[in-house]
Amino acid sequence: MSRTALDRWLNTTGAWALALLWFLPLIFAVWTAVHPGEFATRFAPLAPLTGENFVNAWNAAPFARYFLNSFLLVTFILIGQFVLCTLAAYAFARFTFPGSGVLFALVLLQLLVMPDILIVENYATMRMLGLIDTIAAIGLPYIASGFGIFLLRQTFKTVPKELDEAARVEGAGPLTVLWRVYIPLAKPTYLAYGLVSVSHHWNNFLWPLIVTNSVETRPVTVGLSVFASVDQGIDWSIINAATLMTSGPLLIAFMLFQRQFVQSFMRAGIR
Amino acid sequence: MTLMKTMTTTLGAAALLASTATTALAVDLQFFFPVAVGGKAADTIQALTDEYAAANPDVKIDAVYAGSYQDTITKTLTAVRGGTPPQLSVILSVDMFTLIEEDAIIPFDGLAKSDADKAWLTSFYPAFMDNSMTGGKTYGIPFQRSTPVLYWNKEAFKEAGLDPETPPATWEEQIAFGKKLTKRDANGNVTQWGMRIPSSGFPYWLFQGLTTQNDVILANDAGNKTNFDDPKVVEALQYLVDLSAKHEVMQPGIIEWGSTPKAFFEGQTAMMWTTTGNLTNVRDNAPFDFGVGMLPANKRRGAPTGGGNFYIFKDSTDEQKAASFEFIKWITAPEQAAKWTIATGYVAPRPDAWETPAMKQYVADFPPALVARDQLEYAVAELSTYQNQRITTILNDALEAAITGQKAPAAALEEAQAEADRILADYR
Repeated sequence: MSRTALDRWLNTTGAWALALLWFLPLIFAVWTAVHPGEFATRFAPLAPLTGENFVNAWNAAPFARYFLNSFLLVTFILIGQFVLCTLAAYAFARFTFPGSGVLFALVLLQLLVMPDILIVENYATMRMLGLIDTIAAIGLPYIASGFGIFLLRQTFKTVPKELDEAARVEGAGPLTVLWRVYIPLAKPTYLAYGLVSVSHHWNNFLWPLIVTNSVETRPVTVGLSVFASVDQGIDWSIINAATLMTSGPLLIAFMLFQRQFVQSFMRAGIR
Repeated sequence: MTLMKTMTTTLGAAALLASTATTALAVDLQFFFPVAVGGKAADTIQALTDEYAAANPDVKIDAVYAGSYQDTITKTLTAVRGGTPPQLSVILSVDMFTLIEEDAIIPFDGLAKSDADKAWLTSFYPAFMDNSMTGGKTYGIPFQRSTPVLYWNKEAFKEAGLDPETPPATWEEQIAFGKKLTKRDANGNVTQWGMRIPSSGFPYWLFQGLTTQNDVILANDAGNKTNFDDPKVVEALQYLVDLSAKHEVMQPGIIEWGSTPKAFFEGQTAMMWTTTGNLTNVRDNAPFDFGVGMLPANKRRGAPTGGGNFYIFKDSTDEQKAASFEFIKWITAPEQAAKWTIATGYVAPRPDAWETPAMKQYVADFPPALVARDQLEYAVAELSTYQNQRITTILNDALEAAITGQKAPAAALEEAQAEADRILADYR
């Protein structure tokens, strides 16, 4: 066997092994979710299939409303982040103004602060704004994302100055340049960042739980937490059915857009 | 026609009355509650508050599900610091000192004005009040309270040649039974353990069962001094460690709470210690005959209590406080307490709840429900101190170190005591 063939063989086996390892919990979740409770920790190939776990999970909380809330929430956050981070990143990347260094350092500092520490402060702010128990209150603290600003600034910096200047010669103002030159070139970064942001906020639990009180505002994770009943022992079948159900939209979206995501990550990395 | 008209008039008058009453006295209450026993509990709370709201149109109660016990205290304290506390909440009884220190709650004594109200304050089981009072004042009203009991598999007992109707009564019997119940296959691998005392997350709770049985209390009533290095506490920990290490009747290492009922159902263990909150679960899912008994005794019988109390928050209007008080009185009254107990398995917190027809019927169908109540006579307050989260974490870490064999019981507990002393010195 030649060296390259061996190399490839090793790579393929390694990739498969890792993929299987990654996939195992998901397989377990699917297995327990579609079988009755007594097969949760027992493997029997002919075990009867059932959809009952999903029905029970769906009925344990108002999930239809929760899904709508989660969807509104991640959309609101994503749009807010894109607008704010784009404008901030553009300013930091292409304009010189007094204090820009200090300001950018402050933005970077935000990356070092755990959001959980700020819960009490954020709560007080939301209360001052009269926003307690609204979807806006869940999203607002995350909209000025330090990570987003940093990522986009780095991307904008890689855009050749010549393109910017050429557009200006043609008579484009700063905002037109941003819209026509920078944003199209940074598309892969937006995709990658959007994926991270959506999955993070889809899965966020503690802050939404604290700042909201009613069914009309709460996201799916709060509905999911009803099943974590430590006192009573965990019913794996139903909790896995609920988990698959709540993570389903993300999994499906990722599989549909898989190629674009992988490509965008690669391009974002290579630039 | 006339009848129709009379009805409309009466209804109209009633509606008018109700609406004037609402405008005159309308009180909004926000009520946070945790869920630790599955989705049904949340539905029951909602049904109870709806029932109360229907009977009392002048009070509007917004019952808010607040996650686990941990999430609920976080959410409540955040709301308190943010200036919008709930008017009432169910929170772990052991968080009383934390809430007092935050100056978040008020005692019930000031709200109990009539003699009937004062009598009501003393109508609960004393074991539950241990965790609800300090300095002679009542800060919490018992609601979703539990206590650990012993569950055993009667079929496994029969197979091992034991009397299926008699659980172990002492520490020695527990080991002797455990040895008979532990089964090994030809290779020496255990197929069925004798017993299971879960130790993940909050091992201190069941450990407190052992220390109480060994006739020692882990912390004083004032919540500012612990006894972790008492020789009797060390002895209790040694017993727990020996169950796996020396007598080999319990699976070694940390044992998960969440999977313990499942292990019991599947015959991986013949006995388990766990909360009464599991009664309904075990009743529905155990594929064999099972028994429920008090925890075995050593120097005495003993078990901790656990679970949540009602608290009333300080930063509300007098009307809200009075309305909260009335609501708590109603939801802990015998009829409602009975409904709650039957739905969840929590121990009804007052003797008269057990005298209601619904409860009598339930107990007649399912006598094991009585075990927890009868054990209350021997029960003590769950470990609760100032800086409760930190103190219990220290004890939990020490217990885990001993259970996993990283430290000797005496050394682990000595270190824990020194650490606890350092924190609690400020509160003496």
